[in-house]
Amino acid sequence: MTLTTEPPLTTSSAAAPPASGRPRPGLLTGLSHVALVVWALLVVLPLLWTLLASFKDNTEIFGDALQLPAELRWDNWARAWSKANVGTYLLNTVIVVAAGTFGTMLLGSMAAYVLARYRFPGNRLIYYLFVSGMAFPVFLALVPLFFVVDQVGLLNTHTGLVLVYIAYSLPFTIFFLASFFKTLPTSVAEAAMIDGASHVRTFFQVMLPMARPGLVSITIFNVLGQWNQYLLPLVLLSGAKDKWVITQGIADISTIAGYEADWPGLFAALSMSIIPVVVVYAVFQRQIQSGLTSGALK
Amino acid sequence: MSQSTGMPGEMNRRQLLRRIGLTALAAGPGAGLLSACATAGSGGADARTPATPAATAATSAANPLGVDPKKPLEVVIFNGGNGDGYATGLHQPLYRKAYPQAEIKHVPTQKIGTQLRPRFVSGDVPDVVNNSGPEALDMAALAAEGHLADLTALFDAPSIDDPGKKVRDTLVGGVQENSLIDGVPHVLNYTVAHRALWYNAKLFAAKGWTVPKTWDAFLALGEEAKKAGITLFAYPGQVGPFYQVWNLVYTAAKIGGNQVIVDIDNLADGAWTNPAVLASVTAWADLQARYGDKAYFGLDHTQTQIKHLQDKVAFYPCGSWLENEMAKDKPDSFEYAIAPVPSVTATDKLPAEAIMVGVSEAFFASAKGPNPAGGLEYLRIMLSREGARGYTERTKNLTVVNGVAEGLDLPPAVRSAAKAQDAAGRNTITDARFESWYKELFDHSQTQTNAVMAGRVTPEQFCANMQKKADEIKKDSSVSKQTRSA
Amino acid sequence: MFTRLRAFGFVAGFLVVPAVLYLAFVINPYVQAFQIALTDWRGVSRAPGFVGLENFARLWDDQAFWQALRNHGVLLVTLPLVTIALALFFAYLLNLGGGGASGTMRGVRWSGFYRVVFFLPQVLAVAVVGVLFKAVYRPDESGVVNGALIKLGLEPVGWLTEPGLALWSIIAVMVWQAVGFYVVLFSAGMAAIPRDVFEAAALDGAGRVRMFLSITLPLLWDTVQVGWVYLGIAAFDGFALVQVLSVDRGGPDGATTVLPLEIWKTAFSYSKFGYASAMGVALFFMTITFAALTLRVTRRERIEF
Repeated sequence: MTLTTEPPLTTSSAAAPPASGRPRPGLLTGLSHVALVVWALLVVLPLLWTLLASFKDNTEIFGDALQLPAELRWDNWARAWSKANVGTYLLNTVIVVAAGTFGTMLLGSMAAYVLARYRFPGNRLIYYLFVSGMAFPVFLALVPLFFVVDQVGLLNTHTGLVLVYIAYSLPFTIFFLASFFKTLPTSVAEAAMIDGASHVRTFFQVMLPMARPGLVSITIFNVLGQWNQYLLPLVLLSGAKDKWVITQGIADISTIAGYEADWPGLFAALSMSIIPVVVVYAVFQRQIQSGLTSGALK
Repeated sequence: MSQSTGMPGEMNRRQLLRRIGLTALAAGPGAGLLSACATAGSGGADARTPATPAATAATSAANPLGVDPKKPLEVVIFNGGNGDGYATGLHQPLYRKAYPQAEIKHVPTQKIGTQLRPRFVSGDVPDVVNNSGPEALDMAALAAEGHLADLTALFDAPSIDDPGKKVRDTLVGGVQENSLIDGVPHVLNYTVAHRALWYNAKLFAAKGWTVPKTWDAFLALGEEAKKAGITLFAYPGQVGPFYQVWNLVYTAAKIGGNQVIVDIDNLADGAWTNPAVLASVTAWADLQARYGDKAYFGLDHTQTQIKHLQDKVAFYPCGSWLENEMAKDKPDSFEYAIAPVPSVTATDKLPAEAIMVGVSEAFFASAKGPNPAGGLEYLRIMLSREGARGYTERTKNLTVVNGVAEGLDLPPAVRSAAKAQDAAGRNTITDARFESWYKELFDHSQTQTNAVMAGRVTPEQFCANMQKKADEIKKDSSVSKQTRSA
Repeated sequence: MFTRLRAFGFVAGFLVVPAVLYLAFVINPYVQAFQIALTDWRGVSRAPGFVGLENFARLWDDQAFWQALRNHGVLLVTLPLVTIALALFFAYLLNLGGGGASGTMRGVRWSGFYRVVFFLPQVLAVAVVGVLFKAVYRPDESGVVNGALIKLGLEPVGWLTEPGLALWSIIAVMVWQAVGFYVVLFSAGMAAIPRDVFEAAALDGAGRVRMFLSITLPLLWDTVQVGWVYLGIAAFDGFALVQVLSVDRGGPDGATTVLPLEIWKTAFSYSKFGYASAMGVALFFMTITFAALTLRVTRRERIEF
């Protein structure tokens, strides 16, 4: 069941032939709408509430939850911006995630391709060694990992963090892409090889483009996963506050909120970290969704 | 929010009053000025800390610890309720003034453990650590590895302000007792805190309420408060049920004497099934059921403290750092005042006035750091008049240094605490040390406290469950044991 | 012969960098963690004492460990079940819910909009979601839910403080975050089902419920199982949410605790790194077993069309 990147079925009424004589089941359609609207509200309301709370003061946050802020208190945002260094941390995060995801995709697809399509002794062993990494709780490795990174002199550097991100993203990436490469038809690759293309060229010029849907979807997974990482940077960047990523900033201000009771500042920082993600997502949602689905379905 | 704890057994009323400048009668520092210049021993390294001053500079009167003036110093500060401004704005400049060539690296953090644990294993350790917060390092484990500098040299060194006086003689009583790990002084608790119930003096004045001294009066006030739409008592159950753990054990000590807590700390047989513990837990659980509000089981400490400031709660169990923590949100209509826990029975061992007075905010110097002498010197600077007074000025917390806070504009909470200690006299409640000694037991006590206060277990079951856990820990050979005599 | 050599060179060349990185930064620390599980290491010493399998023996009568396992059991059943059921329902409505029984199968109006909104929670960091739902579940009138309940004259509910309710409240957040992803996943699957299958069924007089059960679900079964594996692995985690949301870290009375949280507490609060590592090894084998079992069970013939 190979799926093309054809976008999911939408409401384009042009595609719908005229309804036949039977009456539309209005009640059922109505109920469907109710269910969808309810879920949409469940998703949107907490986010909206966070945005509103970022303009409240403590008294309002600790008052009636459904009340609007009396005024737009932008100083909450200013405070959060300077205290949580949201700008710097967002930029750092973008750099680290971009490099980390690129490296993960490059190395992951190379390894997955080889493991999926070449027979050689130890293939299964290497594959399962990679895949078993998915099952281990990361924080157990934290202390030993610290020493490893320290020994190679990459502690408190973005390079070190990126390499570790790549290493920890490999298991899922390889697990996913290996099964994806297996589903690709062998004929095209064989044809390319007969034409004299090298293995490397076949991979980059034939197989990778064919695997594009799967690559897009796993890229999204990796971006989301690395964007959300908290424990690894906490340990590996602890000594360099100017290199922190956004989750560290949020956790930092969240802890500070607990000590200084600065809840508006916390919600402002939350909003600041949510909004760019939502904007990026809104812009790319079509690509994300089509890529995600076509890939995940194999 | 302060978590580590300790207790100055003998810190008396006069010392405290002198420190915060409430009485002109207390002897001033003049006595020290007159004393002969007894050169205190510079306190070499002892057998436990061989790493100490092997390569340090020679000692002198101005430099009794033998600090190498060129060596850099790294200081890690827990950036919690007290911030880290006192370190960057005060203690570090003081150190730099004394040793202008020394470079100071300042590291603020809220995750002491996550950040420092790997460094202690690797041997790349900071020189001074403010070991505080929810991720504080296990001091006994550090001591066992020889990471903690012996503070004897510090305590025996001359005070910066008065070379005729040893540092130990400038400190309140409980500091040294609480510095001991396996009998060796390793931990410097820097602040003094008072713990009991807090209320809004202005609210009580406006309502014509008086602070209850007996449990019956407490319950009667609960009835009054209920009519006024106020919850008599609340503790934060989401994060920080330990405020109520303290409350339960301090109340038990009030009923049965400080020995109750000593037994608990020593993991003595039947310490938790002591009738005093049962009476305390029964009284509090009953009060919660009658006049409490279950919403607070789901709120954390700052949320509960804000509700307290909004006069939705009459009494809140906490320590004297409370006002500083809430300073930004405190309305003018609120004035913090401390109230001892009312007497549960007519035959309580300690009088109604008894409150808990203890030392907290642990600091240590590393024995195996690059600059152990500098670490001790940094602590000595913290214990100087300028260092300690400035700390109190900035954080509104009293330090363990005697007589340095005169004339400071201290907040009502601290003044109220001093008055309460005055009233308590020698009847102070001792601290419970199982909190830092046996974290697992302490965590269990928090879970059990939430359970018993919500009525999910009976007070009898609470005692039995706690005793069971204490017995398990006692048998657990992987947990190193500490003991106390009083 | 030469081609085979070339192939081996290629294989080695492609594998060496990922393998080195993986060995250095993942396998190496994990092997060390397995070794730590056999010691009494307390986190700060260089030479921990070897205790053999004592840490594993201790797991047998560790109540917190078993409580965490029970909670994982509940998560393992409910999280995939609820998420997949909701996602299938919404995906069906979005794709086919708007059509008449005439056989014109199409989505409801604004289905594009819903797809965007539903997916939104997926892009939020778990730490953010945790803080957000703390505000939603607040037990007094300042909580988003309880504020509304009080407005309606109802009693506020202790979403996270009632032992019988707390785990469900946390599962609800996990479902909240996950549903959108599976809606999109299933939507694509449904879009791939040829339209004429439905039209034929509709002509035969099949209702929408029948069509769902007899056409959509069987043809989507493969995708559903993929979802089941993802959600199952997620059910063995839950650390971040439980740590931020729950009362008293995994409370009340351990009702919401999960193994990663117990490991975290044992290691970083109690400094028992050896014992915590033993728990981690146990968790490792459980997750591996689950994944292997599920993959074996789900490896079945695909329905081709």
